[in-house]
Amino acid sequence: MLFNSLTFIVFFAVVVTLYWSIRSWNARKNLLVTASYIFYGAWNPPFAALLFSTTAMDFWLGRQIAKAKNRSSRRAWLVASVCMNLSMLGFFKYGNFLLENFQWLLARIEVIYHPPHLDILLPVGISFYTFHSLSYTLDIYRGVLQPTRSLRDFVLAVSFFPQLVAGPIVRAGDFLPQLVRPPRLRIGQFLWGLSLMTLGLFEKIVLADTMLAGSADRIFGYAGPLVALDSWLGVIAFAGQIFFDFAGYSTCAIGAALCLGFHLKDNFRFPYAAIGFSDFWRRWHISLSTFLRDYLYIPLGGNRVGWTRAAINLVIVMFLGGLWHGAAWTFVVWGLLHGSYLVIEHASRALIGERAWTENFAVKLLLGLVTYGAVCLAWVFFRASDFTIATRMLRGMFGGHPHGDAILATREMLQIGIVTFFMMLAHWSLRETNIETAVTRLPRWIVTAAWALMACAIILTQGSSNAFIYFQF
Amino acid sequence: MPSSTSNFKRILRLPRLFFRQPTEAESVHGGPPLEFERPIPQIPWRGITVIVVLFVIAAASAWEFYCRSIGYGPTLNDNEDLWTITRRRAQPESIVIIGDSRGWYDLDLDELQKGLGKRPVQLAMAGSCAYPVLADLADDKTFHGTIICSFVPGLFFAPPGTPPMERGEKAVRRSHTQSPAQRGSEYLAMPLEEHVAFLKQQDLTLEQLLKRLPIPNRLGALVPPRLPPYFGTVDRERRARMIEECARGGKLATTIQQIWLPIFTPPPPPSYVPKDVFMAKMKDAIEKRFGDTIAAVEKLRARGGKVVFVRLPVSGGLKALEDRTTPRDQTWDPLLQAAGAPGIYFEDFPELAGFNCPEWSHLSAGDSVEFSKRLVPHLRAALGM
Repeated sequence: MLFNSLTFIVFFAVVVTLYWSIRSWNARKNLLVTASYIFYGAWNPPFAALLFSTTAMDFWLGRQIAKAKNRSSRRAWLVASVCMNLSMLGFFKYGNFLLENFQWLLARIEVIYHPPHLDILLPVGISFYTFHSLSYTLDIYRGVLQPTRSLRDFVLAVSFFPQLVAGPIVRAGDFLPQLVRPPRLRIGQFLWGLSLMTLGLFEKIVLADTMLAGSADRIFGYAGPLVALDSWLGVIAFAGQIFFDFAGYSTCAIGAALCLGFHLKDNFRFPYAAIGFSDFWRRWHISLSTFLRDYLYIPLGGNRVGWTRAAINLVIVMFLGGLWHGAAWTFVVWGLLHGSYLVIEHASRALIGERAWTENFAVKLLLGLVTYGAVCLAWVFFRASDFTIATRMLRGMFGGHPHGDAILATREMLQIGIVTFFMMLAHWSLRETNIETAVTRLPRWIVTAAWALMACAIILTQGSSNAFIYFQF
Repeated sequence: MPSSTSNFKRILRLPRLFFRQPTEAESVHGGPPLEFERPIPQIPWRGITVIVVLFVIAAASAWEFYCRSIGYGPTLNDNEDLWTITRRRAQPESIVIIGDSRGWYDLDLDELQKGLGKRPVQLAMAGSCAYPVLADLADDKTFHGTIICSFVPGLFFAPPGTPPMERGEKAVRRSHTQSPAQRGSEYLAMPLEEHVAFLKQQDLTLEQLLKRLPIPNRLGALVPPRLPPYFGTVDRERRARMIEECARGGKLATTIQQIWLPIFTPPPPPSYVPKDVFMAKMKDAIEKRFGDTIAAVEKLRARGGKVVFVRLPVSGGLKALEDRTTPRDQTWDPLLQAAGAPGIYFEDFPELAGFNCPEWSHLSAGDSVEFSKRLVPHLRAALGM
């Protein structure tokens, strides 16, 4: 079920009404579990069984870890949980990718092998809910979380429908405490949740799908050489599209959770105003970057193990982060590029150190724009479905096709320019604050007008239930 | 920082740092209910919400009133979900109409039902190639009914990767993968679309309104041709009918006529493919389509199914263009001969040839009824009924 569909509007209205009408906290939690499984099953009912089995296994393994008397058995149970989750992810998401690469490797030593193409349907959001679930056993192992006694609560923590299929990646440790006591219905919170949902849908339906997606799709789908202007605009359009698409989903999820009295953390903090790549990853897909930091980068030694090892750790983390996004080498290159950016940034910081001139606004702005440009370059590999397209795009961007084709209409160019300009303006204006503070400070009439205009734009756009980009991950 | 030597053993003992002590910020389940609570802007939410709701209702009503005042009426949006719902109605022995928008607008289901004894299932789609649907029905082992295939050469022979092919493929794919949520959304959308005029994805979305802005393009920019504005309605059986304003002729019909010409003009070879290579590829693609069509027709016939191709009326400048770019002796005649299937070409029969398409490509709603009535005897003969 997509947030931008009529089914969801009806579903959400029914769930919210029932939820706040029921007095018993247990009954309300049961309702949320049922609703979450309906939400998930509405895509493909059999996958709901897969979701439940993963969850139930981790619930049981979490208890085994907590009960284990010594370190080696704790570790064995943790390894079982990690293997179970990653093998599930590996089979559904990377099965064909691994087979194809195995075939390619054999071909290098002149062994001809034709593996059967596995007709595997990727369960929606498997990368997200696997991480929701895995965070539980990892945190119990780390000793920062005690296992919950309620399977129902854990099932709800993993499957809570606002964040189930495309994040934010909500750790069980952040969600389970919210199931201890029932939240109270607070009108301000509820209506703020609704306005966040409006903002999220506006970002998705109007800005991502209507203003930017068409141009990005045409540029990346064009089989011929493109002039530099069109190539750059295509990449800039995609940079905006993926932000509005994913941030839109996260904002909707946060809003929907608030309407039900739950608090999810921010997943984006104006990332295109980032100054440097560490800053970028503190602002982009925060729930994934902190997950990788806490469960991968720090266990690898983080930055406490010497400069070279820390650099290698960064590259390993970003390599796996890239692979997490999709079973293709283009995603790996995207991750490695970001890993390299981070290494270069760390090296530059070590060389330059803290200098007063780096605090100058003009320098910050310049560094911010350099960051944005480098992030856009990396998006080429993220969006291109193969290296031929990526190479062609990069060649076009750097003047390799002076006599290439121009395929964007002036209207599309204006749309990309205007949306990107206002997006950057908003990100730079708000980079040191948050949306709640901004809304509190703005005159009431501006808040009212913005909310009303966003709602009208959503209605006018109508939407055609385009799936969110991150569903495929 | 510890030296790399003293740290060496500990680094190797992965996952060493899973033993990291919890920070104070990391609470334990069962501890305080919330360590994190989102801030809520302290503003008068009730008043703001009331104003927003009233404004949105007023704006939507004004927009609806305006859209109706300029000639729009409520109708369903034709999309893959409506197509899929209709596709599910096809029974093993059904009569199914496939192909392009001429098959969609020009064939009246009531008249065909009267003449053929069964109500046809309408699966033709605007601007689409018939082949993906033909192949899907041929692969459907339960289906052994009758297919009436509307034939517009430029669309039928559209190569893979072009919009006409993708349209058909997308619909077929949706019919195999439609989720309960997608089906549910379509059932919820139908009553809304039947009552609200501005819910018109073809014409009145923000995207379509932006496309209408008169902004000139760069010289030589390869921008896709404009698509025609709203000129027809669709019902729950996917029967399309031309609206009166278009059927009367006049400005709307003339505008659409001028839009068809660039759409139906074969595009020049792309700049990055040599002309002879491109022409050779096109020839191969057309030959492959011949072969695939023949195979699909044979597969259907082997199960007792029947296929009849129909060339429906076209008029004015568009007819001249089609006759010039896709002549009958290079498209229609060889296809029928190779497939061994019956065909009805409107120009071959005086009673079918006299119809005028107001916007050159489709019959008016009234004419489609009369045309279908006159087409029935030819269909019966072609199908051996």
